[in-house]
Amino acid sequence: MMLTNRKRLAIRGVGVIASANDLGDARDLSADICIVGAGAVGISLALALGDQGIDVLLVEAGTTAHDERVQDFYRGTVVDPALHSPLIDYRERRLGGTTTIWGGRCMPLDDIDFERRDWIAHSGWPIGPDALAPYYPRANALCEAGAFDYRADTALRPDARPMIDGFDGRDVSTDRLERFSCPTDFGTRYRTRLAQARTVRVLTDAAVVAIRLDDQGMQVDRLDLRDAQGDAFSIRARHVVLGTGGLETVRLMLASRDVHPHGIGNHHDVLGRYYMSHLAGTIGTFHAARGARSVWHGYDIADDGTYCRRRLAITEAAQRTHRIGNVVARLHHPRIADGRHGTGPLSALYLGRALVPRLYRARLAGNEADGIAGLVRHAANVIRQPAAVAAFAVRMLTDRRLAERKFPSVVVVPRHGNYSLDFHAEQQPNPDSRVMLGTDRDRWGMPRLSVDWRYSPGDIDTVKTALALLAADVERSGVGRFDYDPEEVEREMTRYGAYPGHHIGTARMGTSPRSSVVDADCRVHGLRNLHLAGASVFPTSSQANPTLTAVALALRLADRLGDQLKNGAAT
Amino acid sequence: MTRVLVLGANGFVGRRVVAALTAAAWATPVAGSFRAVPSLPLAASPPVARVTVDATDRAALAAAVEGVDAIVNCIAGDPGTIDRNAAALAAVAGDRRIVHLSSMAVYGSATGLLDETAPLRGDTGAYAAAKVAAEQTLIASTDVVILRPGCIYGAGSPQWTTRIATLLAQRRIGDLGAGGDGCSNIVHVDDVAAAVLLALRSDHRGAAFNLAMPDAPDWNGYFLALARACGAVPIRRIPAWQLKLEKAAAIPLKLAEQVTRALPPPIPPSLLRFWAQNVTLDSTAATDRLGVRWTPLAAGLADLCRGSGGDGHAI
Repeated sequence: MMLTNRKRLAIRGVGVIASANDLGDARDLSADICIVGAGAVGISLALALGDQGIDVLLVEAGTTAHDERVQDFYRGTVVDPALHSPLIDYRERRLGGTTTIWGGRCMPLDDIDFERRDWIAHSGWPIGPDALAPYYPRANALCEAGAFDYRADTALRPDARPMIDGFDGRDVSTDRLERFSCPTDFGTRYRTRLAQARTVRVLTDAAVVAIRLDDQGMQVDRLDLRDAQGDAFSIRARHVVLGTGGLETVRLMLASRDVHPHGIGNHHDVLGRYYMSHLAGTIGTFHAARGARSVWHGYDIADDGTYCRRRLAITEAAQRTHRIGNVVARLHHPRIADGRHGTGPLSALYLGRALVPRLYRARLAGNEADGIAGLVRHAANVIRQPAAVAAFAVRMLTDRRLAERKFPSVVVVPRHGNYSLDFHAEQQPNPDSRVMLGTDRDRWGMPRLSVDWRYSPGDIDTVKTALALLAADVERSGVGRFDYDPEEVEREMTRYGAYPGHHIGTARMGTSPRSSVVDADCRVHGLRNLHLAGASVFPTSSQANPTLTAVALALRLADRLGDQLKNGAAT
Repeated sequence: MTRVLVLGANGFVGRRVVAALTAAAWATPVAGSFRAVPSLPLAASPPVARVTVDATDRAALAAAVEGVDAIVNCIAGDPGTIDRNAAALAAVAGDRRIVHLSSMAVYGSATGLLDETAPLRGDTGAYAAAKVAAEQTLIASTDVVILRPGCIYGAGSPQWTTRIATLLAQRRIGDLGAGGDGCSNIVHVDDVAAAVLLALRSDHRGAAFNLAMPDAPDWNGYFLALARACGAVPIRRIPAWQLKLEKAAAIPLKLAEQVTRALPPPIPPSLLRFWAQNVTLDSTAATDRLGVRWTPLAAGLADLCRGSGGDGHAI
């Protein structure tokens, strides 16, 4: 079997998934297009190019499963560990990439996100919403988030409930949705399709360690790679696409500095800067005047089976008027650790937190000060509401554990009709927030990353203003009260640091090499055949989770590359 | 007027072909069926001429084709029936035009985009092999035009509409993930009937034509569209483990169904494999050379609950 794979891999245009460990003597590979990284973006791009019959070699540094030894290549340093998660967390070096652990929240960018907003420095995309519109529906399908419809009035069934009965916002809307992927692990879901694509080859255990340019530094000559044993091999391709995520892409380009001493695409010290995530947190209390019955903060199910949820969104007009960034929010159950919510299922979660996956556990951290009294309160909540706890447990088992399309999060109706507010806000581009090469190196000698993520005063202002607008709209509508402490905003939005897993803006898109790394077609400035795919090219972060848009951009890139290859062949 | 004998006229496709011929100004159908039909469910006036004929019996068939100008062969059945029918038809057809309903099964295990020049592997069982042999028998000695439909859907289609709708209502299928990634290669039964009429009058003797709507949805897409049409939404994502369970339970379920006659029929494992299979029929030739115009999916599903041709067979 291994021998067969090896032989087939050496043949151009035969679809197969193989390991670089089985390459044998065939150590100089070639392809029309080499895609580095088999995550959401790399797999989407490979499938789209395969549909066009283009010869693609998709290389993945990891294997088909999580492997601590492979994951160790991601280790790096974080300047302020309170503000950023360790670099081995929230990204996966394996087939499927980080979609193997993602939450699946999908939503497109809003029109205003593309604009140059004079109140946000370095804002503005070189493309508009029209450039992505043709690609979003297919991206939505690839993410398995159902129809590309994010409006409550068209996507939901006519009997879908409003979020808050009687709420009529002036600056805040509730009629836009977020939709959820299964969450789909692209590696598992599309493995057969990749193998069936006649012109697509997939090579795992293939880690790129250097991008080699020609002597003039105008194009990529070849990629140098290592298999899992560390044995070297190389790939020559007419075009190279990096789909390695917002951190690893920077690392590869900065570390490849034999021709350009500051790294590839970094003549003007832009690469790795403007590193953005999202500013997220849970704050305040929404008291529903007419109790929990007047509130629907759970999920609706669209015809295609996808979970959808209404969001509180600050309107574009309000963003302009108040000169702030983009913000969304959701009603949330009260803070789990605080047993005074009196809600059995939440207390059960708190008491059983050892069973919750490690990366989600931080948000269940208790108030140590409450001590035994706190535990007793939680235990009492559970004992008093056995039916609610049991129903919750059954739902978690059938709709989450056993289901392939998973109920996306914990939704519990709080007994006292008091909700907290989850917000998710745009982070403004800041050149001092950055990703750099550190001093230590990994097993193949590549420098490890050092991350210095920073937020700005404008970010605090964005969240503060949005909360004030929401409180005013709640008040004006007479549906209740939203209480929060404005002095707590900064602490809450940085309680867990940068929203984990969103690595945005480190190789931003723009028209000038002085202020950007790639052009409007995602091609690295000054290089004929190197392209980037992923959230690293977003010039601004929007309120939206980045995966859907990253996939849409990858599909657009597939069309661009297809055109270039055809035109190239013609001339 | 061209007198056209339709064999298998009481079947799902045959009924539509008879109806289409009745509506055509140039043709007069003769509805041939194995069993006598008390009242053919057609609102035709004058009533359609009928003949009872065993289409696998050479003598019976010879008598039935007397005075007939052309033959449409919609005979379905087990491999033996297919063999005998083709042999009998080849023996009695003379120089009459035959339009023969073959199947995409003739391509067997082939994958990818298939046009009519793809080899006829027929290697997926006795049915596929019999369909290949029938084509070859007819091509060798008759004036035949062969139609190779994909999955024929439409109100009353037992396999590709009724059964699927039932499974959707039972929530045993829905969004199958990778299990529904195969191209559905669906074709509306009215388009098949229209293709038969075009083939009767075409000069493509000996030619074969794939019949499948261009850009047919994958099975997941078809299931969703059908679920919408019959109100079985929201559909559910069927976990891979449940599909595996269906495969494992197929034989016990079949036995239980036969014994109790009450339990739901199993989903055959071959069908589960079929929905994931990477095969796309290229029907460009039917579009360009026969002139078939394809019913859009929305229109094809719109009349689902109105039954077929007034026969009361709602899905």
